[in-house]
Amino acid sequence: MNGVEKGRRGEDFAAAFLFAQGYRILDRNWRIKSGEIDIIAEKSGVLVFCEVKSRSNLRCGSGAEAVNFRKQRQIINTAMRYLQKYRLNNHSCRFDVIEIFDNPTQEPQINHIVSAFDL
Amino acid sequence: MFAKTLGAGIVGLNGVLLTIEVDIANGLPGMDIVGLPDAAVRESKERVKAAIRNAGFDFPYQRITVNLAPADLKKDGSGLDLPIAIGILTASGQLGKADLSQVVLVGELSLDAKVRGIAGVLPMTVMCRQEGIGKIIMPVENLAEGNAVDEVQIAAVDSLQLTVGILQGISSGLDNPEARVLASGIKPLDDFKDVQGQFAAKRALEIAAAGGHNIMMTGPPGAGKTMLARRIPSILPPMTREEAVEVSKIYSVAGLLGPLNGLMKERPFRSPHHTVSAAAMAGGGRFARPGEVTLAHHGVLFLDELPEFSRSVLEVLRQPIEDGQVTVARVSSSYTYPSRFMLVISKNPCPCGYFGDSLQQCTCSEMEIRRYLRKISGPLLDRIDLHINVPRLKYEEMVSNRHTESSEEISGRVGQARIRQALRLVGTGIFCNAQMNHRQIKEKCEILTDAQLLLQSAFEKMKLNARSYDRIIKVSQTIADLDGQKKISFSHMAEAIQLRIAIFENGK
Repeated sequence: MNGVEKGRRGEDFAAAFLFAQGYRILDRNWRIKSGEIDIIAEKSGVLVFCEVKSRSNLRCGSGAEAVNFRKQRQIINTAMRYLQKYRLNNHSCRFDVIEIFDNPTQEPQINHIVSAFDL
Repeated sequence: MFAKTLGAGIVGLNGVLLTIEVDIANGLPGMDIVGLPDAAVRESKERVKAAIRNAGFDFPYQRITVNLAPADLKKDGSGLDLPIAIGILTASGQLGKADLSQVVLVGELSLDAKVRGIAGVLPMTVMCRQEGIGKIIMPVENLAEGNAVDEVQIAAVDSLQLTVGILQGISSGLDNPEARVLASGIKPLDDFKDVQGQFAAKRALEIAAAGGHNIMMTGPPGAGKTMLARRIPSILPPMTREEAVEVSKIYSVAGLLGPLNGLMKERPFRSPHHTVSAAAMAGGGRFARPGEVTLAHHGVLFLDELPEFSRSVLEVLRQPIEDGQVTVARVSSSYTYPSRFMLVISKNPCPCGYFGDSLQQCTCSEMEIRRYLRKISGPLLDRIDLHINVPRLKYEEMVSNRHTESSEEISGRVGQARIRQALRLVGTGIFCNAQMNHRQIKEKCEILTDAQLLLQSAFEKMKLNARSYDRIIKVSQTIADLDGQKKISFSHMAEAIQLRIAIFENGK
């Protein structure tokens, strides 16, 4: 399994997790030139832009750590384009990070950080 | 959703009313603060966010815009945390119906939603009274300051939750039994009875304290100049309430008022080190904080070893000494601070310190002495009313058991003299002889003819200028007050002139 597949597997986990929590999944891997948003979901009127980070070990630091300022800017800019495109500018929204610790020897662990960052 | 709360800021020494508008709208989540906030205000964003969460409320994941009005005034300090947090809670509908239009909120928030004390609460409370706002919510640490102002209802809080409770009408403010309007006076430890000998110097200090005159002490090292100066606060009369409020406002803004002190009771005694900078002396910084001359308002500014101060610092003193106020101009605006202090100076007669000493030989060259004394400019010297020599003590004087007056006895006479002055100066807004201007001298001081003649001959012989003339009359008036006389007689005038003469002996 290569890196892309591992990431994809993590995003599937995350989507399933959100769905189980009562979120409606609107889009997956929404991509434009400036970047990509892993999962766009909605629950009780709030749009959620989700970044998923998978890790099978902590050699490169935790997944949440990897969403640094530059990555946040990238997600925010992409989200703004999304809101514009679907004319959702007046919608309330937030940015979440979902961290997945996916070690083959045990069950995957999910850490959902609600409203992980803002402007 | 929109909400409006009231806060307070400081400009110079006065409080200003600020309106904090909070708007919460949909859109990308985030918080913006506009209205010229400085770094401490902009950072309140993080404190407010954490405090709201940790107080058990929800921080809205929406677009939050905070506006601080008036928008053209620079806001500084951390006292705006509380009104911003309450504004956010109201705008997000978590506060219910609370009337926020008649209550000013001040206080800094900690991350765990506690409210911390801030600087400048006294002038802010005074501002509430002037603006006709009946209620202020403030940190419990500052309660004593607030209590010094009448007609304003004060609620002291220690947490964000309690503030919310008060606004909803559920809770009432805290009380702090230790908060006193007037700090209990600590008797100065230093007493004049510990100083043997130096009777001439003590007499001059008594005159200086009675009239608020500036005084310079010259003498060899170890003669007791600093010892004498440190005892001046023990003979100064207590401040009137008016004076205490003025001084406390300065200390409140400077953040130097202790947590439990409402109004300052003791007159300030400031003795800046001689490495002090001109900005620290006059007041400075981007928002021009009060400097030493202002912190010494209604008290004593003691400059030990005057010639060691840098020249620019000494020249800065000219305006405050003459006008009783200092104007500090900065890019943003200019601030005028009061600075009516009694200047006390000590210096050696020469660099080695023994010029004119009875026992030890002076080792300085004439050139060195001249350079040393040139540090003190004529105009500055001119503004000093009393010049005295503090000579070396003789062994017999030092060990003698001769009765020396205690500070209490001296301050009794000083107090009497001050009462005479206050009665004479009633309605003028000044408190002591040294503050009189030329016209007030003409109106208030009666000089007997022979004293007038003495002054005339001194004026011609000593080549005095108009300022010296005024200052001699002021000192002689103080001496008359100490003597219990209404009019200035020959002996009062003679003593005043004699105390000024020293300028010609050591001034060259």
